Amino acid sequence: MTDVKFETREIGSLAKPPWRVKAFAGRPVEEGDVAEAERWAQKLELDGTEELVETLRREEIGKDDLRLVDDWSSRYGLALLERAGLDVVYDGEQRRTEMYDHVIRHARGFEQRGTVRSFDNKYYSKAACVEEPSIDGPYDVDEYRFLSARTDHRLKVPFTGPYTIVDWSYDEHYGRHGALGATAEQRAGARRRFMLDVAERVVRPNAAAVVEAGCDWIQIDEPALTTRPDEVPLGVEAFNKSVEGIPSARRSLHVCFSDYSLLFPHVLELDDCFELQLEFANRDSHELGTDGADRPGYEPLFLFADHEDAPNVGLGVLDIHTNFVEPAELVRDRIVYAAELLGPERVSVNPDCGLRTRSWDVAYEKLANMVEGTRLAEEALNRAHAGSR
Amino acid sequence: MQAFAPGIHPRSEALVQATRDLDRGRTSAEAVDEQLQRDLDELVRVQQEAGLDLLADGMLRWQDLFRPLLEASDGLEPGPLTRFLDTNSFYRAPTATSAEPRLREPLDERYAAPLPSSRIVTLPSPYALAHGTGIPAKVVAAGVLKPQLDALEAELVVLGEPFLARDGAGGLDELREALDALAGGPPLALQITFGDARELLENGLAELPVEGIGVDFYATHAGDLPQGFDKLLLAGVVDARSSALEEPQEIADFVGRLGVERVALVPNGDLQYVSEPIARQKLARLGTARTARAKETAA
Repeated sequence: MTDVKFETREIGSLAKPPWRVKAFAGRPVEEGDVAEAERWAQKLELDGTEELVETLRREEIGKDDLRLVDDWSSRYGLALLERAGLDVVYDGEQRRTEMYDHVIRHARGFEQRGTVRSFDNKYYSKAACVEEPSIDGPYDVDEYRFLSARTDHRLKVPFTGPYTIVDWSYDEHYGRHGALGATAEQRAGARRRFMLDVAERVVRPNAAAVVEAGCDWIQIDEPALTTRPDEVPLGVEAFNKSVEGIPSARRSLHVCFSDYSLLFPHVLELDDCFELQLEFANRDSHELGTDGADRPGYEPLFLFADHEDAPNVGLGVLDIHTNFVEPAELVRDRIVYAAELLGPERVSVNPDCGLRTRSWDVAYEKLANMVEGTRLAEEALNRAHAGSR
Repeated sequence: MQAFAPGIHPRSEALVQATRDLDRGRTSAEAVDEQLQRDLDELVRVQQEAGLDLLADGMLRWQDLFRPLLEASDGLEPGPLTRFLDTNSFYRAPTATSAEPRLREPLDERYAAPLPSSRIVTLPSPYALAHGTGIPAKVVAAGVLKPQLDALEAELVVLGEPFLARDGAGGLDELREALDALAGGPPLALQITFGDARELLENGLAELPVEGIGVDFYATHAGDLPQGFDKLLLAGVVDARSSALEEPQEIADFVGRLGVERVALVPNGDLQYVSEPIARQKLARLGTARTARAKETAA
């Protein structure tokens, strides 16, 4: 048996630094913000940040300056993930406003429809599909090329999936006519047409162009996938439509904060999907241990144990909702538990989701511990295997 | 033929900003209160202009359908953040801390505002309020909702029920017992929001001890309404989860085909799932549809 080795990677977004947020909002960048840029440049060993610092200190930051701020924010994100020790990286989606808005801004056929409450005093903007969606051209290729020119690490590019785009949008086009008193079949038919069009006309051409530019791993993000349990098969069909005809690239699917039992057996129909990246740490205990009783959050892994032909597992080992920094030993035990249940060849390691709600300090500590914990898990498993030979 | 709008109304952009600012420490609670009053005044004006028959306060202070009642009760509290049905919005699920919750005192005017003419008030149905708590709905009805209802003056109290259509007809008996415990107060209507009521209608929804039954006609086929329906039908004919604006004449024609004598045109659930400018237009169209249908009936 070859030595056990787990691949580590990010999932999605990191917080945007205050100097970026303020510069783009047209608000004054304060000296403390500049000091943060300098501190992180030193920590990440980033060279050439003098031009950024000089720009941030200007009284007015012009359009060209914003491009430079945008680039540097992307480089900081990339460097943070590299420096934390991850094998597979991106830039923490620094150039993207938010996963839904990023698509809507670049797609045709959508119009903003105002603010809706998420909960309490938290709100989100929601758009409506008003005509058949499309894109003028791929919109993530430049982002990918910029990063690929600046790293030796493997890059994994995230794309918001068609199910989530549709589920988070109003439909003023496909289901517009005859909605009142329509049959369930009519409503489902309209929704399916909407979703498959988004997959084919928005997600696929953008992802295909990024692969064409050299990317060898695309990640489809579908946080909404289990929102309507009876529509999981439709979400699977939309994933397949999104990646149809895209050659030579690893495909994976990220789903978080969902009832994973709803995914099975439908995910077995995903076309050539390498892996499901799922959230577990959010549900787990902080106690050490590698027995099932120690790892209640990882109970959904039995779904994978029961389906050997299921995609691999991208094992979420960091809770992105708390500032609790998981000790490396806790990460180790989570990985060991999963590897012993499924076999190490079916497991890779990532956070539950993007770390955008955490400060960079917390995100960095968490990720660094994730990498350290992964090495500890490899040692433990290799030691156990050596002992059993 | 009537028209009115139960449930939680969306906040204006100004109120959205004020509440965001409050969370970030950039404004005061008093400033938010002032904006809340402006929103309420505007909502009343919009409803009057639309010609709605009963006014609603839009529950502008309610964070979700349950929160004020949970915070005003002993034995119930706001629980984990939970996705509301299949929307991208969330609520604090009621959690029980005792077997017999009790309302400490009825909600005051901040949560059921006095209005310049006859009003409707919306409360959660006892089944919804008890959902997931492990406490029978009739216990929640007697201990929490009944004292609240007894303190209310309203032309109609609409009990919002988002869960029963998904749980199935098995919950009807529990709900019937709970509604019995609410008798003797203001007239009640039970509104099945955002769900297909077919199975419930087939199993006696229309016989529940309430004055009115609400049906979402964006999830329920018109043909599923039972023959001889003789209660007030709260016809959910404006889709509160769609930004598309309904055609009033289409609504009027649809309601005409239902063949029900007493109808109130309502949204199919809380309008808070669209933005405030869209909700405002939907209210106007609700009123226009009511007028169009009334003219057809008179003719």
